[in-house]
Amino acid sequence: MKVLKVTPAELDAMMQQWSKAHRVYAPALVKQPAASPNCAPGWRRVDGSGALTLSTGPTPASVKTFFFPQPETLLTYTLENNHPDKGLMREPEKSKEMQVVVGVRPCDARSVLLNNLPYQEDPFFQANRRRTALVGFTCDQSLSTCFCTQMGGSPLGSEGLDLAFSRTQDGFIVEVGSAKGEALVTGLDLAPADESEITALAARRQKEVKASSTELDTLKGRELGKLYDAPLWQPLGESCINCGACTFICPTCYCFDIQDEVVRGQGRRIRYWDSCMFPLYSLHTSGHNPRGQKVQRTRNRFLHKLKYFPDRFGPFSCVGCGRCVQDCPVNIDIREVMNDLLAVE
Amino acid sequence: MPTINEIVSEEIRAQARKLLEEGTVAAVIGYAAGTLPMTVRPLVVRSPEDCSKLIWNTFCVLNLANYLPATLKSVEPPRGPRDPKPEGPLPKVAICATGCWSRNIVVQTQEHQVDRDRVVVMGVGSRGMVSRRKVEAIFSGKEILKVEEGDHELIVQGADFSETINRWSVVRDNCQTCTHPDPVLVDVRIGEPVSERKPPNPFIQVEKIEQKTVDARWAWFTEEFSTCIRCYACRNACPLCYCPTCFVDDAKPQWVGKSLDAVDTGLFHVLRAYHCAGRCTDCGTCETVCPMGINMRMLTKKLNKDVLNLYGIEAGMQPDAPLPLTTYAMDDPQKFMANEVAPVPSMAPATLGHRGPVPGSVKEGK
Amino acid sequence: MTEQSTNWEPKIIAFLCNWCSYAGADLAGVSRFQYPSNIRIVRVPCSGRVSENMILSALKSGADGILVSGCHPGDCHYISGNYFARRRFALLSNLLDFIGVEPGRVNFSWVSASEGEQFAEVVQGVTEKVKALGSASRLVKKIDALETELQVA
Repeated sequence: MKVLKVTPAELDAMMQQWSKAHRVYAPALVKQPAASPNCAPGWRRVDGSGALTLSTGPTPASVKTFFFPQPETLLTYTLENNHPDKGLMREPEKSKEMQVVVGVRPCDARSVLLNNLPYQEDPFFQANRRRTALVGFTCDQSLSTCFCTQMGGSPLGSEGLDLAFSRTQDGFIVEVGSAKGEALVTGLDLAPADESEITALAARRQKEVKASSTELDTLKGRELGKLYDAPLWQPLGESCINCGACTFICPTCYCFDIQDEVVRGQGRRIRYWDSCMFPLYSLHTSGHNPRGQKVQRTRNRFLHKLKYFPDRFGPFSCVGCGRCVQDCPVNIDIREVMNDLLAVE
Repeated sequence: MPTINEIVSEEIRAQARKLLEEGTVAAVIGYAAGTLPMTVRPLVVRSPEDCSKLIWNTFCVLNLANYLPATLKSVEPPRGPRDPKPEGPLPKVAICATGCWSRNIVVQTQEHQVDRDRVVVMGVGSRGMVSRRKVEAIFSGKEILKVEEGDHELIVQGADFSETINRWSVVRDNCQTCTHPDPVLVDVRIGEPVSERKPPNPFIQVEKIEQKTVDARWAWFTEEFSTCIRCYACRNACPLCYCPTCFVDDAKPQWVGKSLDAVDTGLFHVLRAYHCAGRCTDCGTCETVCPMGINMRMLTKKLNKDVLNLYGIEAGMQPDAPLPLTTYAMDDPQKFMANEVAPVPSMAPATLGHRGPVPGSVKEGK
Repeated sequence: MTEQSTNWEPKIIAFLCNWCSYAGADLAGVSRFQYPSNIRIVRVPCSGRVSENMILSALKSGADGILVSGCHPGDCHYISGNYFARRRFALLSNLLDFIGVEPGRVNFSWVSASEGEQFAEVVQGVTEKVKALGSASRLVKKIDALETELQVA
């Protein structure tokens, strides 16, 4: 793997370089002005001028919006009688322009790899993955709500990042993680990183690995029925208001629904975010709803992340970014849920 | 010396324990401490032992009335949809309520969502609840690890700072313009009553927007709601929203699309607010729970202003009067009508009984 | 969408109550009162039937103007439907104005079954207002415009 050395000034130059050829996005730390209505909430399109500022901890919005656009058009069609396309469903022409997302945190980068497991054969997700490069910054500081180390991640991790920046004394060392990352640095005159800095980073990583807890992994071997019937769900479901805030800000919630929209004769079939917190999510055509009660829906979200998903794919479907912990209107804390689950006899 | 809220917390615990031990109520709706500074979690307590979990502080921003209908239902003996109502009185539920929440209980009673006889209101005078977002904005970029609460100040602590800020300066906008902080229903009084407030202009935030030009208002509207992620936290946290199927979930006809299209998002917010017309008590919960910090309360506040100006009604203040949109007056203002100048036919009660097409109408004989 | 060309004509959706305004429109027709052909009539049982959802849905679908018309106060076939409607429309009208929908897009009127001439006048007035405003863009859903950039982010 190639490891380079970059000064802050060189980073600015790189951003400028990229924005000439690609669409470059960075976290929007303040509320987005109306001038850029076409960018997903929490992100802003950058033109390379001005320095990149990042907040401690995860970015305000997760990167999933680049892989699961809200909405994604699957097909377009027309209902106009005299239209030559009448009766045809067309796959929309999608931009193949590379998008570079700068400022990604290791937790979010990992979320893309986790989402990739169920979406391995999804053409839309894969197309978005092919055209999206993630330029990440490892975390020097964590928030009190961060728990990536519990979920198998690391604040210094470079997993899933095409370029991973880690701070050093006078700038960054940059690990090139993929061909896409390679393409982003070709043509730039960058020096290789010092051996001492690479070993220093490796040592810091080693320390993180030692500090990380693996207690949670015992959940994977537990009997589902006992976790399902545990008494912890009742009070949790009672407090939960069943909004979709946690699922929509979560980087690893990937459920969707499909719908046709027709406006003045022009139609499109869209895929948009859905949430297991909504009654409509599990409502059958018959009118029966297998998860008709609040508590059932709340339980489903946590058991999916901590039991169903690992049973099927291996890792937990949570990266420990802590966004839901911060933003849940009723302070439902997944860390507490995990501890309660571990305590289930 | 204990702070006011410490005294209130102690009283809530004592009263809740008493009500549960006596068997007066089957459940108490209150708050438990949250896991992060400035957060609390709504909690339904069903046993006297659990009452020690109950707390009260300046961050109790969620409207507890939202939990009332479901909690009432949960304490009823289980029965099928066709089974008759059990004989005798059903178990009661106690709920902590401030001014606006108690007004919501009034609205719920008016709308037959809640049986007033089954509710024991533990009335707490609200001193204004603090907006977590406002506090975080003051310390932007720094993580707040602990907040200690005094009667008039907050001590905010982080890893490398500790600062005292004035409490009222970070109280939510809706609380700052609140006129009825004391509960309108009180079965059990908790703490001291607080007096009515007289903010210089309760609608000042709305009027700021009204004074803009129509284009500037549209710009404000599109920008304000552009960050909505359609999580429906505003809807679900609202005690007024209890429809089994919300209009956004209607499929045929589909009133509002489901993606992040700006028009669909805007329509959702306009219609949601409009459905709260004449019922909203400006508790501010919608705005507080929004993960994106959208001030959707401006829409409901505007409607509150109009309902007050046009019909002289404040939601939840007159338990015996009908809700403003379920009634009418013969002489309601109608300046907005295109042909308002056209002569209005006699409004004598006799004409009220008139039915069918006017004689001579072309419809006749068809 | 074709923007304002010289021969642009607005589309106006008119929700007319069956008992008064619809009959008024009929009378205008048989009495040969001229009014602009821009309105598309939706006959409803009562102005009280017209919900905010219907009005906004029409706007969303691209109507340039809306007219809701019912019986005069006191004349409602269902005794009080229009009184309830009047309260709701007053609030809706103010709310739409508040969010910046141009005044004149959504209009309300009372027209009785005997007021054929008045109906023609109301339609004339509303059409002129909407023409002056131009084609609607606020709260109008456009899916073609969405394709380009939203896709990306």
